[in-house]
Amino acid sequence: MATRPAAEIPTAVPPLSLERQVTWPRRTRARLANGLEVVLAESHTIPKFHGELFLRSGNAAAAYRGTGLAEMTATVVRTGTVKRPSRQIEEDLRRLGADLSSHAGADNSAIAFAGLSELAEPLLALVNELAREAAFPEAEFERERRQKLEEVKLDRTQPGFLAGERLRKVLFGVHPYAQVAPTEEQVAAYKRADLLSVYRDFYTPENALLLMVGDFDSAAMLKTIENVFGAWSGSKPTVPPSPEPAKPRGRRVHLVHVPGAVQAQILVGCHAITRRHPDWIKLGLTNSLYGGAFNSRLVMNIREDKGYTYSPRSGVNPLRQYSYFSISAAVRNDVVAASLTEIFYELDKLRALPVPEPELADARNYVSGVFSLGLATQGGLLAQLSTVALNELPDDYLETYRDKVRALTPDDLLSTARKYLDSANMQIVVVGDRTQMEPQAALFGDLDVYDAHGKHFS
Amino acid sequence: MHLKISIESATLANGLKVVVAPDTTAPVVTVGVYYKIGFRLEPRGRSGFAHLFEHMMFQGSANAPKMQHIKLINSSGGTLNGSTHYDVTNYFESVPSNALERVLWLEADRMRALKVDDENLRNQRDVVKEEVRVNVLNQPYGGFPWLDLPPIAFRNWANAHNFYGDFGDLDAASLADVQSFFKTYYAPNNAVLLILGDVKADEGLALARKYFGDIPAGAAPPFADPREPEQSEERRGEVEEKFGTLPAMAIGYTVPPRRTTDWCAMALLDQALHGGRAGRMYRHLVLEKQVAVEVDGGIEDIFGYNGPTQMVTKILHKPEYSSDATLGEFDSVMREVQQNGITQDELDQLTVKFRSDYYSTLEGSHGGMPRYGLMHLLACFSLFDNEPQLVNTVLDGFLAVKREDIQSVAKKYLRNDKRAIVFRRPASAQAQEAA
Repeated sequence: MATRPAAEIPTAVPPLSLERQVTWPRRTRARLANGLEVVLAESHTIPKFHGELFLRSGNAAAAYRGTGLAEMTATVVRTGTVKRPSRQIEEDLRRLGADLSSHAGADNSAIAFAGLSELAEPLLALVNELAREAAFPEAEFERERRQKLEEVKLDRTQPGFLAGERLRKVLFGVHPYAQVAPTEEQVAAYKRADLLSVYRDFYTPENALLLMVGDFDSAAMLKTIENVFGAWSGSKPTVPPSPEPAKPRGRRVHLVHVPGAVQAQILVGCHAITRRHPDWIKLGLTNSLYGGAFNSRLVMNIREDKGYTYSPRSGVNPLRQYSYFSISAAVRNDVVAASLTEIFYELDKLRALPVPEPELADARNYVSGVFSLGLATQGGLLAQLSTVALNELPDDYLETYRDKVRALTPDDLLSTARKYLDSANMQIVVVGDRTQMEPQAALFGDLDVYDAHGKHFS
Repeated sequence: MHLKISIESATLANGLKVVVAPDTTAPVVTVGVYYKIGFRLEPRGRSGFAHLFEHMMFQGSANAPKMQHIKLINSSGGTLNGSTHYDVTNYFESVPSNALERVLWLEADRMRALKVDDENLRNQRDVVKEEVRVNVLNQPYGGFPWLDLPPIAFRNWANAHNFYGDFGDLDAASLADVQSFFKTYYAPNNAVLLILGDVKADEGLALARKYFGDIPAGAAPPFADPREPEQSEERRGEVEEKFGTLPAMAIGYTVPPRRTTDWCAMALLDQALHGGRAGRMYRHLVLEKQVAVEVDGGIEDIFGYNGPTQMVTKILHKPEYSSDATLGEFDSVMREVQQNGITQDELDQLTVKFRSDYYSTLEGSHGGMPRYGLMHLLACFSLFDNEPQLVNTVLDGFLAVKREDIQSVAKKYLRNDKRAIVFRRPASAQAQEAA
C-alpha cells in the first residue's frame, strides 16, 4: 500500500561501520586557596560557555529550619546585591548576552549561567557577587514569597506533581527527601532572617564547586576565576544528620483524588541505590531495557501494543543519600488495572527469565551510544561533568562508563532485577477521579485515599 | 562578525533537497527529514490528522516493519523523534556516526513506501488521545494558549482549527486517508534531508544519492492558501479553566511577513517585551505592579513558520485583580513603547542578547539531540526560501535594527484592532461567584 514503485530497492539493513573513537576533552581541575573547587573543559562548538556554581547543600540540609528554604533562598539571591539592585542585575545580564538562573534541589543549591566568551569575566564577576554579596532586599523577598504562595497552589493542580509528591512521602516518611514542596502555611511563615542564615551557611567557597564548559582557554580561564573568586571566604556548613527514611515493606496503593480528572496518572516506585553504589550501572541498564528507552519492554507493551498511554517511562532517580526507582504512565481511566497488570508483568518477567542476549546487546548499545551524545554540546558536557563531580565519582568515570556497560551479561540483569525490583514491595500511587480509579486500584493492595492537599480520606 | 557555518547543499533529480553541515566536535551525526506539510494543510473534517499521521510514520515501512525503525535507531546507540508544526513535519535521529547509513536507509524506506494497517491506526489513535489528555484535557492551562487563540484570532480554517484534533475527527480518520496524505505530501520533491555533524560534505551528498536518489518524485502537492482577510476589530473569546486556580489571559498580535525589515524589528521588540525578567512585560506586571504571577510569551520559533503567526503574551494573574485591570496594565506597557520607543542602551542590550541566543539556537539540543536548532533553521530556510545559507547571514538583519524601527512596528502592528485575546477563567472561581 502507498508504495511508489522503484527500479531497485535496497532491502537489507546497512551494517554499522567502524566506530569512531570517543574522546572526552581534558579536564582542568583546581582548588583555590579559599577551598573553591574548579573543573573546566573546553568545547568550541559556539563562541559561548556554560557554567554552574554549585553549593553542596540544598533543601534537605535546610529542612530542619524550614521546608523548601534553600529554594526560596536561591530565588531571592538574584534579586539584589549590595552593589546592584534587581533591575540592574537583569539588565546587566542582557548586556552580557547571558542567561542565569538560581535554584535549589534536595541536595544542592546552584547558580547556572551561560554567556558569550568575549564577555566571560564580567559575567563571572556578577556570579561572584550573587554568591558573596546578595542583599536580600526586604521588598524583593516579600514579593517573591507571595509569588511562591501562588506557585505552590498551582503545583497542586498538576497530576504529575501530585503523584511525585505522594510517592516521595510514602518512600521517605520523616526524611527530608519526603518534602518536595512547601505548603502554603510553610511559605507564609518564611522570614527574611531564615534566608539570610541559609545563605551565610551554604554559600561558601569550601562548600562550592564551579564547573565551566565552553569556548575558552582553560589556563587563562582559571586565572580569571582566581582573580574573580579569590577573595571569597567561608567554611563548610555543619548539618545535623537527617532521620531515617520510611522504607515501606509490602505493596500498598495511595490514591490522590482529583474530581473530574479525565485520565489517571500512575506512578509506581521503590527505594533503589545511589550513583556511588557498585551496582549503579547494572541498575541503569536494567531500567533502560525495562522502560527507560523508546525501544523498551514497557513502552512496547502498554503503548505500541495496547495503546493505553502516550508516554510511559521508568527511571532511577538518584539523590545523594538515597535514591528511588519509579515507573510512570498517564493512562485512560478504564485501563488503570490493565496497565498496572502489565507494569508488574514486565517487572516480574525480568526477575524470572534471563534477558535474551540479542535484546541485551541492543540495550547495551543504546545506553553506551546515547552517553556519547552528551559530548556534542556544551550543556550536555556540563551535565556529565557535574554528575561526576557532585557524586565524587572516579576521574575516569566518563572514559570507562561505556566499557562497563558493554561488559554486562544476562546474569547481571537477572540478579539486579531480583535484588532491586521487587513488585511485592512496590508502592503504587494513582492520581485521578476516585470514583473511576478506586475499584481498579484496590485489586493491587490496601488503599489509602488523599485529596490534593494531602488530607487522608479513609 | 560573520558566521561561517560550513554547508553543502544540492537538489537530487527527484526534487529532494539535501543539506550537509559537517562538524567533527563529537563522533555523532544528527539526521533530519522535513516534509513541507503541517497543521495548516490537513484536510477539513480531519483536524489533528497531520499529527496523527506523524505517529503513523513510525508504524512501519516496506522493509522495516512496525517497531523496526525505533529498535534499529535505539540499538545503534541513538535517539529519535518527530514533531508536527504549522508548516512542516520533521523526523530526526541523533546517532554515533557509524550508524549514519542505517539511519539514511530507514528514512529512505519510509519516504519510499509507508506500510501500515488498520491495527496500527487504531493503536496510534488511542496513543494520540492519551497524548491530548496528558498535555491538554487533564492539565491545568492545557492548550493555553496555543489551542485557544487560533480559533479566536483567525478566520481562515487553515489557521483557525484545532490542531491536536477533535476526537470525533480522529475517530473518522481511515487508512485511505493515511494513504492519500502520504501520496500527496510525503514525496521527495516536498522534503529536505539534513545531515549534520561527523560526516564529510561529499560523503553526505553521495550517501543521500545512494539511498534517496531512486525514490520517484510525486506530483507537486496542492497548498492551501493561508492568507487571512484584513482584521479591523479586536477579537475576544473565553475558555473555561477546569483545574487551574488563577485567571489567565493571552493577547496575540499578528507579526509582519517573514524576512522583511519590520519582521526583524518586531523580533527585537519581542525581546524588549518578553525577554525574561528584564523584559518590559515581566518587569511591569510581575515585579513592579505585582498584578501577575507569571508572564511570558513572544514569537515562538520565529524562523519556523510560513504563514500567519502571532506574538503572544501569556499572563496568569492574581484573582484579586480583574481581567480588565490586568489588561489595563498590559496596555500601559504597550502604550509606553509606542509613545516613547526604547532607549539606545536598551537596544544595545537586546542585540547582544539576540546574537547570543542565536548561537545557542544553532548548537541547541532538543531532548539530547545535538544541533537540533541548526537542523531546524537549515530545513526551514531550504523549504521556505530555497536558501540554506541564510543561517550564516540572517542574523545581520536583526543586528541592524534601529530604535526608530522598533517604535514604528510597535505603532503599526501592536494595535487593538489587530489583536485577539482569550480569557481562561477558572471553573472553581466561577462556581464560588455563583454560590
